[in-house]
Amino acid sequence: MSKLSVDHLLGIKYLLKEDIDLIFDTAQNFKEVINRPIRKVPSLRDITVANLFFENSTRTKLSFELAEKRLSADVVNFSAASSSVKKGETLIDTVNNILSMKVDMVVMRHPNPGAPVFLSRHVNTTIINAGDGTHEHPTQALLDAYSMQEKLGDIKGAKVCIVGDIKHSRVALSNIFCLQKLGAEVMVCGPTTLIPKHIESLGVKVSHNIKEALGWCDVANVLRIQLERQGDEKDVSFFPSLREYTQQFGINGEMIANTGRKIVIMHPGPINRGVEITSDVADSAESVILDQVENGVAVRMAVLYLLASGIGRN
Amino acid sequence: MGILLKSVQIIDPTSKLNNANRDVLIQRGKIVKIAANIPAEKNTVIKEKGLCVSPGWMDTCALFGDPGFEHKEDISSGLNATAHGGFTAVVTMPLTYPVVDNKASVEYAKFKSSTHLVQLLPAGALSKKAQGMQLAEMLDMHHTGAVAFTDYKEPINNPELMHRALEYSKNFNGLILSFPFDNTISPDGVWHEGGASVAHGVKGMPSISEEMRLSRDIEILRYTGGKMHVLMISTAGSVDLIKKAKKEGLNITCGVAAHQLHYSDQDMNAFDSDRKVNPPFRAKSDIKALKRGLKDGTIDVICSDHNAHEIESKCCEFQYAAFGISSIETTFATANGALQDVLTPDEIIGKISTNPRDIFGCPIEGIQEGAEANLTLFNPTAKFQVHKADFKSKGKNTPFEGQELLGTIKGVIRGTSEILY
Repeated sequence: MSKLSVDHLLGIKYLLKEDIDLIFDTAQNFKEVINRPIRKVPSLRDITVANLFFENSTRTKLSFELAEKRLSADVVNFSAASSSVKKGETLIDTVNNILSMKVDMVVMRHPNPGAPVFLSRHVNTTIINAGDGTHEHPTQALLDAYSMQEKLGDIKGAKVCIVGDIKHSRVALSNIFCLQKLGAEVMVCGPTTLIPKHIESLGVKVSHNIKEALGWCDVANVLRIQLERQGDEKDVSFFPSLREYTQQFGINGEMIANTGRKIVIMHPGPINRGVEITSDVADSAESVILDQVENGVAVRMAVLYLLASGIGRN
Repeated sequence: MGILLKSVQIIDPTSKLNNANRDVLIQRGKIVKIAANIPAEKNTVIKEKGLCVSPGWMDTCALFGDPGFEHKEDISSGLNATAHGGFTAVVTMPLTYPVVDNKASVEYAKFKSSTHLVQLLPAGALSKKAQGMQLAEMLDMHHTGAVAFTDYKEPINNPELMHRALEYSKNFNGLILSFPFDNTISPDGVWHEGGASVAHGVKGMPSISEEMRLSRDIEILRYTGGKMHVLMISTAGSVDLIKKAKKEGLNITCGVAAHQLHYSDQDMNAFDSDRKVNPPFRAKSDIKALKRGLKDGTIDVICSDHNAHEIESKCCEFQYAAFGISSIETTFATANGALQDVLTPDEIIGKISTNPRDIFGCPIEGIQEGAEANLTLFNPTAKFQVHKADFKSKGKNTPFEGQELLGTIKGVIRGTSEILY
């Protein structure tokens, strides 16, 4: 297979296993490229990519922008913290306006689940989903799985536990789909209020006990716990306090040592040190957190490169 | 001169001629003759293989946007769509702007619809401005022609209001319509809570958001007495609740929206906002329970829950898209197709004709000589492809576009008016 089966990267659920393999093979080459003295290749020369961020992002945006620039694409950025609807312009109009300026590809982050899927049906461009609400974050899952593969050799049969706020996490959902396609076993672990009801229907194990989860897994992918889930004046909280969360689900070095095994530690960042994970774990030899960041650029280069090859240019 | 239906199958659960094939002659607004063979003479002859005639259908739940949201549906387009769907009467929901919460608004709807074949039966709001605070002038609206009272999809979160409304309605034997939806549990849901909502990362609408509110309303009904029709239910748990309440002898009836019988929560491909509806499409096990409920008489009515929307309300991010389907023109075919192996043709017709008319107190004479003509002509075995461009409704928001459905509408006749397709 030398071409992806899809025209867009909207979510991992729309990919075949062969697509993921192809992205990884391609990423492997690009990882080598970005470690050379001259880190730039002309693959996307004369391709214009617009990064449309309808929701704040620092690292994903930076990672995409670097990937685009390393591929010699022309890059434009559009940030609108408020949604297009609030601004009074529809999403389709916003994007069509940008496309009229001869943009070839769109990388988009949006607060609403399914927004890139919706857009792909109504505008004529190649779309890469950089996170859509609580739906998917496909490039994060790809870089996570790529980093896992790098560390373990093979993902097939690996036991991966995703820890934290599963309910509000696009990273968790994309990771579940990606790891399952690659043959890994997946467990989710977190407080009962942050694990969605019916998640078992996706074929994952569920645990509410971090020690049990660590005793089971080869890889712990620890998610950032979002402070706003403690609740505000308007909404009922999902847990009473960060303190209580950390008491139950915070991972420290002692817990890892007690398992008597090596567990690969991952985190999509940014880390709340001392909340979901202590510094000794985050900085340990088994942590691949910074490899994830490096691999993020290579994986995104691969995705951009493979999707750009489908763009017809006269 | 008149209309002669040649060799038409009579589907009328109340008639001795139910399921018989006859010629039916309609002249000057009345059924003048039913016989094996009536000569055509100067009458317009309608003859079609598989053609059936039944007492005129009545839809119990449609929302037109007139006044206030005429760009979605005005009374004229709404009634044209109603006729195109085979109905000769329709109960309209009060959530217009301003809300139908007073006699003048009821009169407006009746006046605007007075020349149309389709009889518009307005439901008045239960509370002023449908804000769920103070009772609306139900008695005054009742005297003006409002057939029932409801805040429709504006939830009545204060049980005391439902309590007072049911008690007050007993003064005039009024009918209270409940829309069982508690929006305070798992708020902002957009899809049935289940495997599909989890896999798509969208907020779920759990079955208990319906069942909790239905339980509450049943409890209040038991306490107050009065008459309640539950506009639509969608879950297996709700079927059980209604069944128990009926067994207990409470004065309660209920409906189901036809599209609930067709789609399940698994049909969420590509975040298609034309499938976004409240109540949401539930699990396949719920659909089974709804069908059983229809068969055993727990569910009395099949309705459209017609909600027409302009394209801008639907063609946007899934979360922002409006709920609802422009459904009244496909209601019969949707139900007819879904219930092929469940209900007999006359049982289906009972759910959209005689039962609604009994519940809302709008009976008509059945198919018999001398009766006032109020008829629906349809072909339950003919297939057709749905083209939203053919809709009479302003709302083209249908999930059925391009699909083949079973059951066509040939026309409607009421008094001396007829619309034939």
